[in-house]
Amino acid sequence: MHLEKIDDYRWLIPKTYKAGMLTDAIVYASQRLLEAIRQDQSLEQAANIAMLPGIVGRALAMPDIHQGYGFPIGGVAAVDEHHGVVSPGGVGFDINCGVRLLSSSLTVNDVRPRLRDLVHQLFVSVPSGTGQSSRLSISENDLNEILEKGPRWAIAHGMGSEADLDHTEDRGCIAGADPYAVSARAKQRGKPQLGTLGSGNHFLEVQYVDEVFDEQTAATYNLCENRIVVLIHTGSRGLGHQVCSDYVGQLDEAMRRYDLHVPDRQLACAPIHSPEGQRYLKAMAAAANFAWTNRQCIAHAVRGAFKRTFGENVDLPVIHDVAHNIAKLESHHVDGERRRVLVHRKGATRAFPGQPVFIPGSMGTASYFLLGREASMRETFGSACHGAGRVMSRSASKKGVTAKEIQKELESRGIIVESLTREGLTEEKPEAYKDIEAVVDVVHHTGLASRVVRLRPIGVVKG
Amino acid sequence: MTAQFELLEHPSDIGVRARGATREDALVAVSHGLTSILADTTSFRPAEERFFKATGTDEATLIINWLNEILFFFDTEGMVFIEFSIDSWTGNEITGQARGERFDVERHEFRTAVKAVTYHQFESHPTPDGWEIQVFVDV
Repeated sequence: MHLEKIDDYRWLIPKTYKAGMLTDAIVYASQRLLEAIRQDQSLEQAANIAMLPGIVGRALAMPDIHQGYGFPIGGVAAVDEHHGVVSPGGVGFDINCGVRLLSSSLTVNDVRPRLRDLVHQLFVSVPSGTGQSSRLSISENDLNEILEKGPRWAIAHGMGSEADLDHTEDRGCIAGADPYAVSARAKQRGKPQLGTLGSGNHFLEVQYVDEVFDEQTAATYNLCENRIVVLIHTGSRGLGHQVCSDYVGQLDEAMRRYDLHVPDRQLACAPIHSPEGQRYLKAMAAAANFAWTNRQCIAHAVRGAFKRTFGENVDLPVIHDVAHNIAKLESHHVDGERRRVLVHRKGATRAFPGQPVFIPGSMGTASYFLLGREASMRETFGSACHGAGRVMSRSASKKGVTAKEIQKELESRGIIVESLTREGLTEEKPEAYKDIEAVVDVVHHTGLASRVVRLRPIGVVKG
Repeated sequence: MTAQFELLEHPSDIGVRARGATREDALVAVSHGLTSILADTTSFRPAEERFFKATGTDEATLIINWLNEILFFFDTEGMVFIEFSIDSWTGNEITGQARGERFDVERHEFRTAVKAVTYHQFESHPTPDGWEIQVFVDV
């Protein structure tokens, strides 16, 4: 594919690239990242999302873009509220997969001597939920309340405080969520999984601030060098996966009624204001609320593990909690006028000016806390990237290395890891991902978000 | 030909390509392939049986929904299946059974949770010596 270079960090796929594209696509990447991105089908997929009916502005590919199924992971597409479509594939199976960052009053020197105990406490307190059951037992009524109201349910049951909501995107609740738009199967899959981490790329890390780039912002969040923080990366578990599966099937059929055509069946969509589109958005909101509650319950378990290890006085307030698989109705400037658009962020984080943006790196490397900047509103519908982005398939990642070797190597660098499975380590080894520094560089230099602090892990819990 | 499967490379996810003498055999083989992503199945016994029913208006949806039954019983009951049988396959429904046992962390080895089976690069077609099905799953 021939890309037109706009500048060192922006590349254009013109809408003339292939029939059906309704707009250009812009890829945010350095020359070096682009070489890695070209190894898979992600640029073709970026061109495909430019075919979504009702798309406005441009289709966008973030620097961590990699091949997904239908939508690329790291793709952003905004569609007109009245003429556009909603695509469950543009949100993904893991609805409201996201990141919550907790700060603490501890420093790395406080934690190191008891690190092994702490990581084990965390491993025991936060089950992966695969082959292990959740510590929480909830009724059908509880589940419906969670789907409708989000983490408010957890707080009412003693798991956290009102202050947690103040630092959660949308206060952990998308309005309009309807538990009755969520199938019985989705509820059955999700019910035993509340408060569980999942497997794959989900994790829980104890990290410390190893470099401060923006002293003033860092101080606002009580962050300074060597401060301990905890990063929680998980989503809506089987409930969200089933909601997506259910609605991809339903919208796939609905497309024929609305005479809609997309280049990949996994991009199945329906007009936003159609009964099918509305029903999906109500179910998606419910699954998103479940995910925020999941991260709330996990944060509560993390706090318990810290208190057991370091005493009752340890406090772990929420810095922020962001979704990176979501579709949201927002107001943006498009072609000189303010319009309501539905922004699909598939593996992309909201990065409104002044908002914390978290970019977790691969296991054992660094993660970043950035602050959303003005360029995101001009260029990317207020979005930035969400991670490092895979460069190696899971099977390639597993070759020639054992879980024990990875664990030993990480320990030699002062990182204690506990994982339920060997695959959790071998498939997620640091080399399987792009260089986080290169990804963050692009976001920083394009002005989508700016560096605040860099975080390094010392303890990792994986499913 | 004997039913068999292979796991396929994908940048972020995993694919399963399965072959069998018939379409039914290929579906059984792809079912084993999906299960092999979830857990090491060598230590499982066919102790319990579950009824599978998949509905849909075309072949892709039917096959995907059949495979989604495996994920549903894993998430809700921890069931891992090692035997599959298909009773009936019509234009809008597949029914059958699967036998296996509940995952026990003391005895079994869990591998990777699968979120969903996708339409992405889905294939189901006859081959000179039988039938082939290919699916990609989100992990």
